[in-house]
Amino acid sequence: MNAKAIVAGVIIVIFLIFGAWSFLESNVEYTNFQDAYETGRTVQVEGTWVEEKGDEYNADRNEFIFYMADKNGQVVRVVLEGPRPNNFEIATSVVARGQFVSEDEFRSTNVLTKCPSKYEGTAEEMMGASSSDGQYYE
Amino acid sequence: MIGSYIINIAFLGIIVSLVAYYISFRNNNEKFLTYARIGYHTSVVGLMVASAILMYLILTHQFQYTYVWSYSSMALPTGLLAASFWAGQEGSFLIWALIAGFVGVFLMSYSSNKGYEGQLMFVYSMIVGVLLLMLIVKDPFLRVWESFPGQVEKGFMPADGRGMNPLLQNYWMVIHPPVLFVGFAAMGATYAFAVAALLKKDYTHWVRPATPWFAFGVLSLGLGIMLGGYWAYETLGWGGYWAWDPVENSSLVPWLIGLAALHTMLAQRRSGAFVRTNLVLGIFTFVLVLYSTFLTRSGVLGATSVHSFVEPGWMAYILLLSFIIFFGGFGLLLLFLRMREMPSVPIEYNYMSREFALFLGAAALIFIALFTIVGTSSPIITNLIKGQVSAVDISFYEQTTTPFGIAVAFLAGFAQILWWKSSKARNILRNMIPGLFISAIATGVMIVIGLTSIMMILLTFAAWFVLVVNVQMAVKIGKNNPRFVGGAVAHIGVGLLFLGFITTAMYDKQQTIQLVEGEPVEALGYTLTYTGYSPAGHERWAFNVTAEREGRTINLAPVMYQSDFNNSLIRNPDIVNRLTFDFYLAPLGLDSKEVDGIAGSTHTLQRGREKNIEDYTITFVGFDMDSDQHVMGSSNEMVIGVDLDVSYNGEIERVVPEIVNRAGEMDFRPAMTSDASLEFNVVSIRPDQDNPDRSSVTLDIRKGGTQLTGTGPAKTQDVLIVEASIQPYINLVWVGTILASIGLLITIIRRANEARPKNVESWSAQ
Repeated sequence: MNAKAIVAGVIIVIFLIFGAWSFLESNVEYTNFQDAYETGRTVQVEGTWVEEKGDEYNADRNEFIFYMADKNGQVVRVVLEGPRPNNFEIATSVVARGQFVSEDEFRSTNVLTKCPSKYEGTAEEMMGASSSDGQYYE
Repeated sequence: MIGSYIINIAFLGIIVSLVAYYISFRNNNEKFLTYARIGYHTSVVGLMVASAILMYLILTHQFQYTYVWSYSSMALPTGLLAASFWAGQEGSFLIWALIAGFVGVFLMSYSSNKGYEGQLMFVYSMIVGVLLLMLIVKDPFLRVWESFPGQVEKGFMPADGRGMNPLLQNYWMVIHPPVLFVGFAAMGATYAFAVAALLKKDYTHWVRPATPWFAFGVLSLGLGIMLGGYWAYETLGWGGYWAWDPVENSSLVPWLIGLAALHTMLAQRRSGAFVRTNLVLGIFTFVLVLYSTFLTRSGVLGATSVHSFVEPGWMAYILLLSFIIFFGGFGLLLLFLRMREMPSVPIEYNYMSREFALFLGAAALIFIALFTIVGTSSPIITNLIKGQVSAVDISFYEQTTTPFGIAVAFLAGFAQILWWKSSKARNILRNMIPGLFISAIATGVMIVIGLTSIMMILLTFAAWFVLVVNVQMAVKIGKNNPRFVGGAVAHIGVGLLFLGFITTAMYDKQQTIQLVEGEPVEALGYTLTYTGYSPAGHERWAFNVTAEREGRTINLAPVMYQSDFNNSLIRNPDIVNRLTFDFYLAPLGLDSKEVDGIAGSTHTLQRGREKNIEDYTITFVGFDMDSDQHVMGSSNEMVIGVDLDVSYNGEIERVVPEIVNRAGEMDFRPAMTSDASLEFNVVSIRPDQDNPDRSSVTLDIRKGGTQLTGTGPAKTQDVLIVEASIQPYINLVWVGTILASIGLLITIIRRANEARPKNVESWSAQ
């Protein structure tokens, strides 16, 4: 009985270690470009699109190329494997997930855009949208 | 507002029910049982009235109510208008409470003749009560001037509502959330059974009446999850039915726990073991439903998910967190206090018994649940440990759950072959032979057509094994006793589901394609042609693509539009459903492209761009119009020079063919290189004053009198960018789900029948 409990315990511990290892392995950290370059790992970098430097969609390779400044102000050329992300122009910030493939190219598989949320309505919106034709009642 | 008062009355009703049920089982007082029922029914009637009022307000566009204004609008068709009832937080809590209330009415009558009503409904009333408490805090009946005090004048009525999130605007929105809430309510019932058993100090008999409810929870929550998956696949354009998204994961976890519990409960009924396991699992079913609600509704995952989670305010956050602590703490504390007096039946350590196989299968399910919840909670965990939010990659889920998935699939076949208590090795082997044989052949075939990873090969083998064994069992049981066929049918569904997971994950093909308007492109066995876009309802655009394969042409019309509601681009895929595969076309974007004209005798040069023609490099530098020499005496004659830089053998030379415009009549003056080898004739010019770099010129170039072939004038064309994919045998997933559901339904009927008092000696045996 005791031996069995030990065997079961050992198996469970092995599974948990396996899980913890996988967790650390696949954990995609939020960091900056400097750190991403030094470690070479797949990371997520939050920053903003550098509009002045333009952007380009290469339809033949299905790549969207833009310049992004991280929170430290470091500007890096980002190549996204895919089309222009949703709401790219109006995003307040973007999160690029990927890794450096060379000194001047951050290759990204996914770019999330954070937009000014319109999910929650505001009073201004309500009044603004309908003050002209809104009606009052008692 | 009257709705708010009714919610308060419903809450009072549930408090009465709670107190009266407590007294009834504490003092064994029948009279209080009556009071409790009145209290409970009052509460349910209150919920019905409140829901009816909200529905009425929505259907009649009473936009002075913040909820109605926030989630509906005049433009919504009736079905969706009704569904906007649960499009927001407050409404979803109301529908959850209403459905939980209804389920409780069934639970009451189910338990009343089994001597369980007092304890069971006491616990269940707490659940309904907590949902009502949430509704008091998040009141769906606030008016706009109450929601925005000081900003909106009293009595203001907005002309129109904000409308429904376009992602939700389809018929799945009508059906998916209610089914999911039935699942949530059923998981409340399973929790109530476990805690009631602890209150009643009956640790063995409770599993019998509780089994059909666990099966019902697994059925309804599972259906809810799969409907969500189908929705994501069919409408949201995720490209698959499962994305390990927090919203999906968080309802998968309680489902897995409920499923594990269902299996260990069957083992307890036979062997008496797993007493504590079942109580713990029962408690966790509902606690994990609450945790799921917390994850998806408190905004804690906001930073790392594509889903937009609404920040509900700190009140709801604190409330949800305290509900988890309350229900978890109450159940586990009670369990801890009663631990000593529980009978301890050791697990039959016969490895060749069905109960041991069930135990292993349940353990594997629990591990899948554990890893899924850890992964989903990774932003919270990393924040707590490192003070920095980060999430795990999808590979985490695939890596950790696959080995346990293999175990689950294999055991779902193996356990069916085993007998309770113990089995003879010879019998096991004999029963396994057809399954092993067919699985080996089928897996071999699938390896030949492309399986490479060891894990996937094992999973394939296990999936075929569970399928074959259960077909065998279903035939055998079906002949003798069709009422008992539920388990086998459900597991056939499981086998098909696993096979569908494998075919869609391992044999899918996808390709990003650019479809220039009018130009056919070959992809994945189809010839695709984008034929332009057309309006598809209010401000929506359908992008028409013809897909031709083996002489048959199908029109696909994926939809893409910019939504005003949340300022985002909405993309809906379109699908060709075939028996053996789906051809899935998801729009990515619309672009434009300069395309060369048809090959011919002319050459088109864009300003500033070099063009290589034979050994020459020719650059169109620009138009030359202001130079005096071109302006002739006659005022109605204008000469435009086309400046060309011609480079040959490293030498650059400027050549300027001209166009003379004399009283509207065009005259072209060719120009030659200095060695007279090349002659340039202007065919047409396209100046662009806003953006000179977009100017272009079309030339006729001759070498020694012979025309050099080139391409015609460039034109701008729309390019639809799509992601096309083949989802092989995805129908296995849907058929598997349906069969698993039918199997569960048969099981529920069988187990509910077994729990009827006349089929059981005595329920109230203390």
